[in-house]
Amino acid sequence: MAGKIKQMIDTIINQRAKDNAMLVGVIKTKLMLKGIDPSKFTLQSPDDPAIIAKLEAVIKDLK
Amino acid sequence: MHTIKTAYSAKTDLNDVADDIKSQIGDFETNLVVFFASSSFAPEEVSSLMAAAFPQAVTFGCSTAGEIVSGKMLTNSVVAMAFDRQTVKMAKAVVLEDLSRDSYDAFKTLEQHFNKPMAEMDPKQYVGIVLTDGLSGKEELIIDRIGDLTNVNFIGGSAGDDLKFAATYVYANGKSYTNAAVLALIEPVGDFTFVKTQSFCQLPQKLVVTKANEAAREVLEFNHKPAAVAYAEALGTTVADAPNHFMHNPVGLVFEGEPFVRSPQQIKGDSMHFYCSVVEGMELTLLESTDIIADTKKAVDAARQELGGISGIINFNCILRTLELGQKGLSNTYGELFSGVPTIGFSTYGEQYIGHVNQTATILVFR
Repeated sequence: MAGKIKQMIDTIINQRAKDNAMLVGVIKTKLMLKGIDPSKFTLQSPDDPAIIAKLEAVIKDLK
Repeated sequence: MHTIKTAYSAKTDLNDVADDIKSQIGDFETNLVVFFASSSFAPEEVSSLMAAAFPQAVTFGCSTAGEIVSGKMLTNSVVAMAFDRQTVKMAKAVVLEDLSRDSYDAFKTLEQHFNKPMAEMDPKQYVGIVLTDGLSGKEELIIDRIGDLTNVNFIGGSAGDDLKFAATYVYANGKSYTNAAVLALIEPVGDFTFVKTQSFCQLPQKLVVTKANEAAREVLEFNHKPAAVAYAEALGTTVADAPNHFMHNPVGLVFEGEPFVRSPQQIKGDSMHFYCSVVEGMELTLLESTDIIADTKKAVDAARQELGGISGIINFNCILRTLELGQKGLSNTYGELFSGVPTIGFSTYGEQYIGHVNQTATILVFR
């Protein structure tokens, strides 16, 4: 399976930034500092369970 | 009319310092006072005297490793910035007394004061300042959690103690705290912006963190090699010589061309310890130092252009930058970059803006 990581990253960015370009940059930077580089993932990226677990933790923290 | 005033005192008796600063601020409807004090002053006393000098204002600050005031870099002094009600509508400083506790507890107090959930606050209307015990090693936990809970930008620095590395303090509303952080939320009347400036160019060498003890800010392996060996190879030198390059060749997490600097602290065995967290999987770029004066001037000029003028600056300037400026005889030149604008700042043990960084100046700029 592929693409889940990209989808999760897009969901996080959309939910927090709500189309505010300045906030999009800030949220992407926050993800980078948490060890997830948004630019490295596409819809073709394999569903790495370790990255998915990290993103699930991020989503939980953001609530 | 927005008014921000600054003052400093190099007197040795704290009662004289507080009187000196109060008299320089003068007849002013002070709403908020931010101050930074040399670690040569007794922590409890400096905080209580500054609060007593401005009883109608919110007061907060921290201990330093050197101070900055409009046009000058100082030591053994107290610097202060006062805001009136025409400049700051509302401000509140809360203390996170136990750094192992969730920042949300402190946020609840801010939400009650501002009568609005932090998650819903407009980052163009509010700004946060975070000051943390500089020896706690907990900065990432705090700034990351803040970022989880709100879109309001928090900027700040880690308290210093003049390179004694014994104890650092944060101050709020007349009290002093260690192993603590001050979270201040401010609603300015005018616009504001942020500067994050670091003076490094990127070298082609990449170091991917393949094994780390993240809680200890320790990298065990870069590129599947012992960390110290890989760093030395990237520099083209020996492990024994590598520490001589730490100040001029830190590493950076680069995002859209902007480095978030991670400064090496020491080599222990084959591992490298940093002043900042490093996470497994991070691709770090080897950096090389450039011109602090030129880069800082350019960054502040850009902020001035963006805002159409500057009425106040708070500069959280890394101690490693201060040391480099001192070595190069450029301390006065750096101070002069901020002459003509009400400015305060201090030499920090770490800087915060979005995340925790090293060898950087994070600067809050008011229109």
